[in-house]
Amino acid sequence: MIQEYKMNNNLPFTPKTKMADVIHLDYRLIPIIGRFGIDFGFSNKTVKEVCDDYKINVCFFLEIINSYHNHEYFPHAELQNFKASLIVDYLSNTHAYYLNVKVPEIEGYIAQIKKEVSIENLKNIELLSNFFSEYKAELVNHLNREDTLVFPYISFLEETLKHRNFTANVVHKIKEESIEHYARHHENMELKLSDLKNLIIRHLPPIVCKEICQKLLTELFRLEADLEDHSRIEDKVLVPKVMLLEQQILEASETE
Amino acid sequence: MKQSELYKTKVCIADKHFIHRLGVKTILSVIGIEPDLYEADTFISTMSCLKDVEGIKFAVVAQDILDPDMNESILKLKAINQDIKLLVVCDDCCKCQTNALFILEEDTRQQVLEKFQSFFYDDNEENTESNSDLLSEREVDVLKAVALGYSNKEIAEKLFISINTVISHRKNITEKLGIKTIAGLTVYAVMNDLIKPENVKG
Repeated sequence: MIQEYKMNNNLPFTPKTKMADVIHLDYRLIPIIGRFGIDFGFSNKTVKEVCDDYKINVCFFLEIINSYHNHEYFPHAELQNFKASLIVDYLSNTHAYYLNVKVPEIEGYIAQIKKEVSIENLKNIELLSNFFSEYKAELVNHLNREDTLVFPYISFLEETLKHRNFTANVVHKIKEESIEHYARHHENMELKLSDLKNLIIRHLPPIVCKEICQKLLTELFRLEADLEDHSRIEDKVLVPKVMLLEQQILEASETE
Repeated sequence: MKQSELYKTKVCIADKHFIHRLGVKTILSVIGIEPDLYEADTFISTMSCLKDVEGIKFAVVAQDILDPDMNESILKLKAINQDIKLLVVCDDCCKCQTNALFILEEDTRQQVLEKFQSFFYDDNEENTESNSDLLSEREVDVLKAVALGYSNKEIAEKLFISINTVISHRKNITEKLGIKTIAGLTVYAVMNDLIKPENVKG
């Protein structure tokens, strides 16, 4: 299926695009490319050549960066054709990026502001800091649940289908812990983030350390945009795909 | 529930019956208003009250002191005091809807309270129109309760308004402040010294 996969040639990024040009055209893709484990120093290599070097599925890579680049473009059907493990790997890398890079970065800015802020504003920064800590706790909780429960479940389904190992246990598991159950509880993690942005933009009294505050705000916007894209892949690609896997297994187990 | 700005509000209560005027006073205190009161029991004394009391802005008027042509009486009251807001207690709604707010026979207890509330509090919103970011007094009350962790039902009971009114206040608060979560509203309320953090319900 993947070999036959046809890329839409009207998209800005194709297998023949130079990898350096991808970043020149949209620098917001820097962390996305990093998430695939790709390092800089592309020389004149095309996207296809770089992906081959890193043993990355070039079609998957292109769909991800094209959809991130242009929000109007969201090829759910195409993305659903990729193996679930490929999508899961990408999403786990994204989780790691949030927890190991983004969140500490934001915490660093908040800590810096706390040090430099005037006494009158300290109370407000403490409030924002606590608010972000609460948000972080929720985010960590949410991502951990996916990493330890949801993603392994998906790999398990794919393995089951591959080996056609349809035990009663498997069927029971699908019926009891279907992905639909998870999807229903997939609460929106972006609400609090958007509140934090507005608390700073609209309600925080003028602050002395303006530059750090601007950086903080910019990072919050980036994290938010990234999370939106992330949930979009989870909700529109991964969940329907896993539902299909579940259905295939249930049907196959009945006929065998 | 503090309505400090409204404490000094001057309200004329015009009704022939002492017992009706007492009823109006009770409702005012239920919705948290403690104004300077001026009572009138005839159309003439109502006219002179609106003319002579400086800064009077509200009048709760019963139909029985008005002429049979209610419309004309209302216009007369308006003519004598252009700033006056009229709340008319009547059995039938007359034609000049824009000149007054009406309490009708068929209104339930809840509807009467809500009409009184919008009569007194909407005026406040008009005053703050120049700065649309600011919340009205009523919205501040709702915000405080939300930030402290009360449910919509509890807030409705506490403030004597319907749950729908609470929901619509919450919607306006969220729109004006750009904050959607309860935790975010709590931060806003503490930031602006509306509530004390130690009072937030666990």
